[in-house]
Amino acid sequence: MPGVCHSPDRGGAMKGPVLTRRKATAMLACATAFGPQAGRGFTGAAMLDERVAAGELPPVEMRLPVEPRVIDLDALGRSAGQHGGTLRVLIGGQRDIRYMPINGYARLVGYDLQLNLVADILSAWEVHEGRSFTLHLRKGHRWSDGHPFTAEDFRYCWQDVILRDDLGGMPPEMRLEGQGPDFELLDDLTLRYSWPAPLPDFLPLLAAPSPLRICMPAHYMKGFHASYASPDRLDALIRAERVDDWQALHQKMSRITRPENPDLPTLDPWRPRTRPPAQQFVFERNPFFHRVDQKGRQLPYVDRVVMNVSTYDIIPAKVATGESDLQAFGIDFSDYTLVKEAESRFPIKVDLWTRTQGSRVALLPNMTCADPVWSALFRDVRLRRALSIAIDRTEINKALFFGLARESANTVMPESPLYREEYARAWAQYDPDQANALLDQTLLSKPRMDGLRRLPDGRVAGILAETAGESTVETDVLELVAGHFHAVGIALWTRVSQRDLLRSRSMAGQTSMAVWMGLDNAVPTAEMPPYELAPTTDDQHQWPRWGVHYSSKGAQGIAPELPEVQELVALVRRWRLSRSHDERTEIWHRMLAIHADQVFTIGTVNGAKQPVARHARLQNVPETGLIGFQPTSLLGIYMPDTFWQKDEG
Amino acid sequence: MNGPLPPPGRELGHYVSDIPFDPKAEPGGAYLGMGSASQFRLTWLKFRRHRLALISGVFLLVIYGSLLITEFLAPYRLDSRNLDFIYAPPQRVHLFHEGQWVGPFVYGQTMRLDLDQLRRVYSDDPQDIQKLRFFCRGEEYRFWKLLPADLHLFCPAEGGRLNLLGTDRLGRDVLSRILHGARISLTIGLLGTMVSFVLGIVIGGIAGYRGGWFDHAMQRMIEVIQSIPSIPLWMTLAAIIPMSWSPLLVYLGITVILGMLDWTGQARAVRSKLFALREEDYVLAAELMGAKTPRIIGRHLLPGVLSHLIASASLSVPAMILGETALTFLGLGLRPPVTSWGILLTEARGINIVALYPWLLWPMLPIILVILAFNFLGDGLRDAADPYH
Repeated sequence: MPGVCHSPDRGGAMKGPVLTRRKATAMLACATAFGPQAGRGFTGAAMLDERVAAGELPPVEMRLPVEPRVIDLDALGRSAGQHGGTLRVLIGGQRDIRYMPINGYARLVGYDLQLNLVADILSAWEVHEGRSFTLHLRKGHRWSDGHPFTAEDFRYCWQDVILRDDLGGMPPEMRLEGQGPDFELLDDLTLRYSWPAPLPDFLPLLAAPSPLRICMPAHYMKGFHASYASPDRLDALIRAERVDDWQALHQKMSRITRPENPDLPTLDPWRPRTRPPAQQFVFERNPFFHRVDQKGRQLPYVDRVVMNVSTYDIIPAKVATGESDLQAFGIDFSDYTLVKEAESRFPIKVDLWTRTQGSRVALLPNMTCADPVWSALFRDVRLRRALSIAIDRTEINKALFFGLARESANTVMPESPLYREEYARAWAQYDPDQANALLDQTLLSKPRMDGLRRLPDGRVAGILAETAGESTVETDVLELVAGHFHAVGIALWTRVSQRDLLRSRSMAGQTSMAVWMGLDNAVPTAEMPPYELAPTTDDQHQWPRWGVHYSSKGAQGIAPELPEVQELVALVRRWRLSRSHDERTEIWHRMLAIHADQVFTIGTVNGAKQPVARHARLQNVPETGLIGFQPTSLLGIYMPDTFWQKDEG
Repeated sequence: MNGPLPPPGRELGHYVSDIPFDPKAEPGGAYLGMGSASQFRLTWLKFRRHRLALISGVFLLVIYGSLLITEFLAPYRLDSRNLDFIYAPPQRVHLFHEGQWVGPFVYGQTMRLDLDQLRRVYSDDPQDIQKLRFFCRGEEYRFWKLLPADLHLFCPAEGGRLNLLGTDRLGRDVLSRILHGARISLTIGLLGTMVSFVLGIVIGGIAGYRGGWFDHAMQRMIEVIQSIPSIPLWMTLAAIIPMSWSPLLVYLGITVILGMLDWTGQARAVRSKLFALREEDYVLAAELMGAKTPRIIGRHLLPGVLSHLIASASLSVPAMILGETALTFLGLGLRPPVTSWGILLTEARGINIVALYPWLLWPMLPIILVILAFNFLGDGLRDAADPYH
């Protein structure tokens, strides 16, 4: 696949103790060989011609880096397209403009379709002993406002943001055993981060849907930084933006997870043109975007992306009346029939993709919940196993997923090189008799007159499962599971809550069971960090207080009490220090095996289908693929900047 | 001036009928027997003339009566699922098969998975005649959650299936769910009204009879409560209900909430009525004879306003039913496995249902009918409550 430059081998940049110069040069050569030389052969979008003619914008040759990233669409089985058009997308609320930088997926390094890391914004990188990362920028690369993108942007982010504790300080992911990297500026386009020991998740972090941020548009952000801007200017801005201090101002103006500041220069394919609040968000092509197709046409093809704010209830109806040109979220599997039926009436096309979650719906028993009885019960592996095998997954699959999903524990999917059948099958068979036998061994009583067991303190053994209420699939699955649980003497009630509320309640130990998706990334390679498998963050509903203990370095929460969980934490720490691919593979397998055996989360089915609807004219959208937040960044790795609209007729 | 008026100072002449008059005699004609008729009888006579109200009253009696034997009426249990027949459309009851009298029956259906559109396609199988059975042994249930039984008013043929209003996304019979849902939805209205009734009478009664600071305080409180928009207030109160409550307790909680918000109107009506009545001589007489406040209110004053209260209560039942439906629809009220009409409607929300499975909207019909019936009934009662008008 020429044009899309691989790292020398799978994650191999970190594999050997020494990355050879030969490999590095090969990478550089890869980037240069296919780029037509600057000054000839590039085509810019017609939309910008007027501004070029008026002298507001330089011609396309000057807007592209000297060596742009060339996407060879033929090699991807796609076609080179033409510029122009508007892509309408529906979002369920204003905050959903956060999908834009995820789908845009311009990263320093990013995953390609095979989930290998490739240089995207960078022209190349080198890794020395797995601990020292040298990054090479593209010469002539510019921010969306035309200002050169150079090592200064990294220096600013490092010295003036990351090293300043009052601006949030260093992200914990950048620390290795508490220690940050050394930062070196080698020249205007080259920089290096080096840690005392290997840091295998540095590159995956840069490729994440919400990437680790190590560069910022310095020329713009300096205007909001106390070290550079005058106090008078800052005071005026603080008042105008209604924030408390200049730190908040800086943070607000630099936010990229939700592109709310149209003035913030970006490297994404489209830049925001609308300032919230609004009902419609317009994103316009970034005239300085660094990718071209093999014919030298600057990407993205589509001039504008327009996001219309709607509600989640209405999105399926609007998609089914052709009001969206590309919709991969906001519609659910159950909406497929409706949209498919509309294909005959409207120029739309809908395909089924595969979701990358470890389980479409998973039950997460809160082992750190405040109720002492339930937390003790949930920590009993027999109870968790019993609940898992009490579930008739075949029924769920048949009733809600047309039998198209896979009945599985919450674990990696066959698409992952780490998949083993025993992980998927562990405690996932339907066996109510064994479940009853297991439950009899726990603190629960035998079923009483009403068919329900009792807790040691006399209460009915009823679990209140809380969902975020974002999809009816969850409540439907729960309805079925409630029947399955009742058969083994446990009541299950559902409460539909809301995402943020659920998170805070879970953190406070008020929820005994949360209903969520399974693993975010169920198609990992060993090079991707296994954080999800161990308590590392507070949004893991099965052990929020253990998770926050890790993320806060022991300042909050409590240390995991279960030996198996302690081992998971130790394994994560080992992965972060690992030096070789084999070692990482071994760690992953050990963690997956512990999960399979301990059933910390109860999975139902995975590999569930996700409808992806598009306008019939929209080209280059694959007919099927994997879709999820991790690792595909939703549509990100499929490069929506290469989607184009064919003329009608 | 020769007028009919006598000169000043003289007596006015007047006409005296010479027809014999017996003050104890019964009136004749249309008013035959009414002279000594009780208040109840007068009300009933007046009410009977309001046709619509009468029909509505009978309809409601039947519906409420049926709540006692829901398990017998519904062909399926509330929780029985048939995953082989998900989203099956309503079956039509036929009487004739190819011109031949068969009696009520439905055709069996076959299901085919349309893997292109991912939908289940059902078609009648004309060879498969499934005769309905009546007073039959069908699905087992526990009558009132106590007695095991299996008698149904009607059931599908042996080994057959009967979904007269179709099935939902888990293959549950919509008709059975509507019947079971009626239990919750209709009783919530009654119980809620009862709560508001009691509150209204006690608070309104004391305020109306005693007046003074208590009356002042209550009036201000009522004004405050009435000035709060109802939906946000419901939402707040419903949010207070602890999440860990079992669905049944939530049901009671919702009832109490609905009642707590509705008593203000009742209390006002009682108060203003009592203001007038307490000036009556018989109240003074009772006071002089040493009757205590509760006795005066309960024995002497309330009977005078009771008919009005009943009429206004019957008008507030539908508001309660709608309140439950609205709360549940917003996701704040009842929650499965308790099934009410509000829950059924919540599940029928979404474009998919309207476009592909419209029979799931059936629960709207009983809601509309019951609300209308209550409104007509209340209308009739209000007219009848004051029979001399």
